[in-house]
Parts: sequence; C-alpha cells; structure tokens
Amino acid sequence: MLQPVGRSDDPAPPGVRPPTRPPAAGPAFRFDRAVHRYGATVAVDRLSLQVERGEKVALLGPNGAGKSTSIAMLLGLLDANEGSIEVMGTTPRRAMAQGVVGAMLQQATGNGLPHGERVGTVLEMVRRLYRHPAPVEQLVRRAGIEALLGRQTQRLSGGQAQRVRFAVAIAGNPELLFLDEPTAAMDIDARRAFWEVIDELGRQGLTIVFATHHMEEAEHADRVVVINHGRVVADGPGATLKAAVAIRRLRFATTCTDQARFDRLDGVTDVELRGGGGVILNSLDADATVCDLVRSGIGFRDLEVTGARLEEAFLALIRQADAGTTGEVP
Amino acid sequence: MNPLAAFGRFELFRLLRSWRFLAVTVGFPVIFYMLFLSDHSARKVIDGTVPWREYLMVSMCSFGALVAALNAGGTRLASERATGWARQLRVTPLPPWSYVGTKVAVSMVVVLPVVLLVELVGTTFGGVPLSPAEWFELTALLWLTALPFAVLGVFVGFLVHAETAYPVVTVLMFVLGYFGGLFTPVSSMPGALQTTARLLPSYHHATLGVALLAGHGLGASHWLVLAGYAVVLALVIVLKYRREESRGLA
Repeated sequence: MLQPVGRSDDPAPPGVRPPTRPPAAGPAFRFDRAVHRYGATVAVDRLSLQVERGEKVALLGPNGAGKSTSIAMLLGLLDANEGSIEVMGTTPRRAMAQGVVGAMLQQATGNGLPHGERVGTVLEMVRRLYRHPAPVEQLVRRAGIEALLGRQTQRLSGGQAQRVRFAVAIAGNPELLFLDEPTAAMDIDARRAFWEVIDELGRQGLTIVFATHHMEEAEHADRVVVINHGRVVADGPGATLKAAVAIRRLRFATTCTDQARFDRLDGVTDVELRGGGGVILNSLDADATVCDLVRSGIGFRDLEVTGARLEEAFLALIRQADAGTTGEVP
Repeated sequence: MNPLAAFGRFELFRLLRSWRFLAVTVGFPVIFYMLFLSDHSARKVIDGTVPWREYLMVSMCSFGALVAALNAGGTRLASERATGWARQLRVTPLPPWSYVGTKVAVSMVVVLPVVLLVELVGTTFGGVPLSPAEWFELTALLWLTALPFAVLGVFVGFLVHAETAYPVVTVLMFVLGYFGGLFTPVSSMPGALQTTARLLPSYHHATLGVALLAGHGLGASHWLVLAGYAVVLALVIVLKYRREESRGLA
C-alpha cells in the first residue's frame, strides 16, 4: 500500500525534468501572500504557492474556493490587491505578452471560438500571434482535430470545440500551460486521448496546471494542491491522492470508546468517535481492518463500508504526513 | 508577422468573406441611390445649394459608412463576447486593448471602399460632376468623419446582448438614416424632426459632405457633434471594459 509522503516543499521526484528543455532558473510561478477581493468578498486570501518548472499540478477545490480567481490572476486577467505574483520570472502580463504561457479557459456560454470561420483559419491566425508557434501538424495530432480543420467553428460539438480550444492553448508552444476544467465536455475516448497528450507534454518538460472536479483526473498530476476559502489547504504529491482514492470509510456501532484501540487497527488512517456509540474509521485497506477488528475482540454491529469522501481522505493523509511538523495545514 | 497585424488581417478577411456583410453594406446604399435618384424631386436643388443627385450621393455615402461600421462592429463583437472568444484572445500575446482597437480600425477600413463605391455610382449613374480634387477631398472628409460610426458599432457590440445586437443594429441603421435626413432632406421635414436630426451624428456627417460640394465652410458645430459622439461612446466602452476587467471577465 502506498504510504503518504511528505509535503509539497520536497523537490520534484527525479525524472520529472525534461530532457528536451534546458532547465531554466526560477520557479514557473509563485504566489506570495496574494489577495484578491471582489468588493467585500475575499476570493483569494493571502495565497502562497510556488510551482517549479516541469511540474504537473492539479488544482482541486469546491466551486467558489478561489481556483478560477487564482488562475485569472496568474494569467494577468486580474491583479493582486495585495501580495505579489510572478510568472516565468516576470509579471503575469509580461509572461503572457512574451508568449510563454498558454491557457484553456472555462466556458460559461458558447464554445469559445469565433463563429463563421473555419477551424484551420482560426488556428493559423492564433499561431501567428506567437514568436515560436508549434508546427500545425503537431498541433493537429496532439489535439486530435485532423478531421475538424475544414469545419466551421459554430458546427462543432462541445467536445470537438474543447479539442480545438486545446489546440489554440498550445499553439504558441508554451512553457507553462493552464487548463481550467479541460475535459468537461469530452466523451470518454476523447478524455483518454487528451490525458495521453498531457502526459506526453509533461514528459517534455512543460509546466502544466489544471483545475478539475474529477478526482481520477487529478491522478495525472505529480502534485495536488487543494484550495479552499482562497487559500491552499492541502498540498501533496499525486501519489498521496492515489492512496486516498483507495481509502474506505467503515462505520459501525460499538460500546468501546477507547480511540487508541481503533488507531492501532490495520490500515486505519483516521478515527472519528461519534456520540451514541457510533465510530467512523478511514482505512487504506478495509479488509485488513475488518479482520483486525474481529481479532481485537471489540464488539461491533451494523458495519457499513463505503468509499471515503476523497478530498477529506486526501486531507487526512496530508495531515498524517505532516504530523510532527509545523505545516500551515489546518 | 507582428501579432497585431496577424489579428487585423484575420478580422478583415473574415469580414470580407461574409456574404451577408457585403450584401448589406454594398447593396443598401447603392440600391437606395438608384431608387431615390428618379424621385420626383430629382431635378430639385436642395436648400438652394446642391442638386438632389449630389445631395443623395453624399447621403448614401453616409448611409453606407453607417451600415458598414455598424455591421462590422456590432453583431460580431457581441457574439464573440458571448461565446468566450474575446476572452480567449486575452490569454494570447495580443495587447489587452488590441481586440477593441482592431474592431474600430477594421470598421474604418471597410468604410472607405463603400464611400468610394457610392461616389462611383454617383458620378456614373447619377451624373454627378466631380473633379479629381473634389473626389479626393470628399472621400477623405466622409471617411475620417465616419469614426463615430465605427465607435458606435463597437459600442453596440459591447453593451448589447448577442441575441439583441442584430435587431438593434438594424433599427439604429434606419433610425439614424431616416431621422438624420439621409433619405429625405432635413429642410423638408416637420420642425420637430428637424430638431431631432440635429442631434444625430448621421445628419452632421452628411451635412459636412454637402457643404464641401456646395463650397460652403465646414462648420465647427458639425465637427464638435461628431467628435462628441466618438468621445462619449468611447468613454462608455472604456468604463465598461474597466469594470469587466476588474472582475476578470474582459
């Protein structure tokens, strides 16, 4: 079973750095106690986060947690009211103007493309906006849009438009790529193909940051950052999340109220004693925990095993890994 | 190629490939010129200054400029803002203001051939005698003073919802055309309508052109009204843009 590993401040695992790009100095981006307010609402609250070049980071968090605002700040669409943000060694806007950043934004309405135009023409124009554009054949292959180049943009399905927007995002051969809910409208096949390309880009040393609601997609990341209430609440390696996916929640009634006895059971990561004899255990290995529970002689009834809520499980693992250190994780 | 040039070229060709745009901008002023030329008042001299065929030629230049600018800016801009394309362009190396700026510039570019075309129709079918110098001066005047129309097009695209932009553009085209005296000389309108006409940029645009042909002075009041429209509309666009930008939506 995977063991929870240390926090984000650890250097990236070996082999992540690309052979194709020379290692550049400085982080890909850095938030330093950045704040953004919409009127009286604080969307991003003294957020500090540093991402190194070549990292592949998943941003998780509920809606309204500050994810999209953070991404908008990184892209230079919003300014920090306080604190600072640095992207590729400069300001977000300058990094954007230099063409080293690519982004695929979330679409509230419409498909994000100009209507009445062929896909190929749009892509050709976008490439011309950059100094070092990616070759068309490469873009077309990576985005899987061979059959779409001659199509009118307004005739694309949601998933097709999303693939075209992905091609637009990588048209400038960016060093840093942001993807906000990139697969929302894709079918399963398109999704799989998309993640293969992302993994390929990651191997080439691109820094990739994506926001997602799909936990299984977050597993494509080397590092997972959970944002809530405008701050980083958890930050750990992707492997920790993978372990969290395996976590099960065991719930039963018992007369035993000795927390230490539950803590010692095989596989248990988290114990919660509820009033009225209810106990909830999070376990990395539910089968082993149940066997051990029987062996321990603790009386129990009404046992129920379910999947754990992933974000909670992830947080629990991060907390466990942090135990004894003075992390800022609550 | 420079990013701005690449984007400008894309925008221009996009517009010129649109059959609807070409049909409306070329068709309306030219067809109206032909239709109204044979009007019973055709032999009249308007306000004792210029013959009807010349007055109508200038009016249709104004109308053509108005139609071209509104259709180039308004409907497309509204739709591109709704579909998220405008926002996608913000995350490219294009400078933040270049999207709106290019829309105004491209509108101005397409206004020029429309003005030239109506002048051509006026001198051939209408028999308007224009010396090369007059051609040049009239074209330059009507083209440069079409700026408020270009800004108005972008204004509509910026403030009106995508679904209502098309009807709004159509209504504006005919309201500014009719009440601005582009179809009927303002002097033959009832008093109240004459006052209304003086509030509209279309009236002042055409009046400048007529004054040039009549050899009158180009009154400062016309310039002021036209500049006022351009400045006020541009200011509203800037404010709206700033507000959206502060919310990360621009």
